[in-house]
Amino acid sequence: MKPETLLLRQVHPSFVQNGQFTSQVFRPTPKDEDKLSVYNGDMITPEDSLAHFVNTPNCQSVGVVAITYNDCKNQSLDVIADGQPFPEHAYIDFSCLEKSAIEKKAKIMKRCAQDRGWLFKV
Amino acid sequence: MGCIVTKAIDFLAPRMVGERFSGHAIPLEVLKDLAVLEEMVIEVAKWHYYNKHPNRKRLPRGFTDSISVKLTEINEGSAVAKLVLYVALTLLPLENQECYEKARNSIINAVNAAQFNEAITQHLPANLLGYFDRIGRSLRQDEAMEFNPADQARPASLNRETRKKLLCLSQERELTEEVLIRGQIPEFDQEKATFTLLLKDGQRISAAAPQQHFETIMEAFNGFLKGGKVSIQGVGRFNRMSKLQTFDTIEHLNILDPLDVGNRLLDELGELGNGWFNGKGSAFPKAGLQWLTNVFTTFYDDSLPLPRLYPTAEGKVQAEWSTATHEISLEICLLTKNGELQIVSIADSSSDDHLLQLDVEEDWHTLNDLLKPMLGSV
Repeated sequence: MKPETLLLRQVHPSFVQNGQFTSQVFRPTPKDEDKLSVYNGDMITPEDSLAHFVNTPNCQSVGVVAITYNDCKNQSLDVIADGQPFPEHAYIDFSCLEKSAIEKKAKIMKRCAQDRGWLFKV
Repeated sequence: MGCIVTKAIDFLAPRMVGERFSGHAIPLEVLKDLAVLEEMVIEVAKWHYYNKHPNRKRLPRGFTDSISVKLTEINEGSAVAKLVLYVALTLLPLENQECYEKARNSIINAVNAAQFNEAITQHLPANLLGYFDRIGRSLRQDEAMEFNPADQARPASLNRETRKKLLCLSQERELTEEVLIRGQIPEFDQEKATFTLLLKDGQRISAAAPQQHFETIMEAFNGFLKGGKVSIQGVGRFNRMSKLQTFDTIEHLNILDPLDVGNRLLDELGELGNGWFNGKGSAFPKAGLQWLTNVFTTFYDDSLPLPRLYPTAEGKVQAEWSTATHEISLEICLLTKNGELQIVSIADSSSDDHLLQLDVEEDWHTLNDLLKPMLGSV
């Protein structure tokens, strides 16, 4: 990945209020086991990533926002392009961090994504 | 001109139960309910009289003119309204006075029957049960009016549940109840002075547009396409399936802030079912959302901008404020009532964490004080 590689995140409809998304978009949930899934923006467009995501049963998205590989590095977070369970899959590694630190990094990344704006919106 | 001698008889002392009645005070809107009692007592007394005298065509002179029920004092004990029956001695023989006392007992017995799932109509006929449409309609979910509080085993507690049972047996086709509801206004006919309220489930309510609310209705109508909402507080008319049909009166009609807390928590997060988050996540408990709405509305400094409110996959609610220099979140657990506040400075990535107990008023003051320097006021 390059420093400017976009890491795409899908935004759940309940995670948007009045046009603004929550920092939770960049925080792993318990089911994620500290690995925040992203689409590798070098391999898929925001629009196609959304189409791919909502094709999974029960999954909803109202749009796509992104941080860069560099944004993660600035937060001392590793990005792993594991290509599993699909080739464009990557994850941001939050393991070994306390809850408070995870939330802080999520807020800063949300701000980066917010400054970049919506890359695709339904 | 001779004066009529009246006698005061202690008649009823209904006890108002609920937080609104603490400090032995009764809100004016509840007094409206009590005012209907006099009307009901007279009609029930007439019913008793005709039952006793089936061949009489008319009531004896003065039967209804010479009595009145007055609120003489409000006593302590979660507000006890002391109602006294004033009777004109010359016009109301003892026998007739007994009809009024029977009327009181019938009302108490009917409410008790509703409370204890007994036969209601052996105490009052269906047509007279219709009075409960106007008595008790201002009672909120956790409130009650006990008609006979002295009897702790059978206090004759009129609440939303017992009132509904009484009204189901009445001849009323529609029931009225105090209502606070939110929706949009897609239609406003100025000539006919009517408007339509569109509810979140798609139901459309047509109602008369009171003159004093014309301007607000127009503003909401103009904001319809942008998603603008209003809240309406008043007396709603419901069918027997508890579906709102229209409004009898509209007391308050307000344009909602786009970030209105009640709308977001109760109408939007309250609608999320199990599996709302991509197959995970549980539905939020209504009582928890109502609690949060209440404490937020009561204790959050209204000079501060409202936060955005989001559900979390873990079943909590996260409030967020975003300023040029800070990202702030308050993660609220609806079960423990605690809140984890985190303030992050964008400039240097430093953070400040606080644990607050949000069922403690003092901690809301702490929250307000911590937010003020960053959010300023609006």
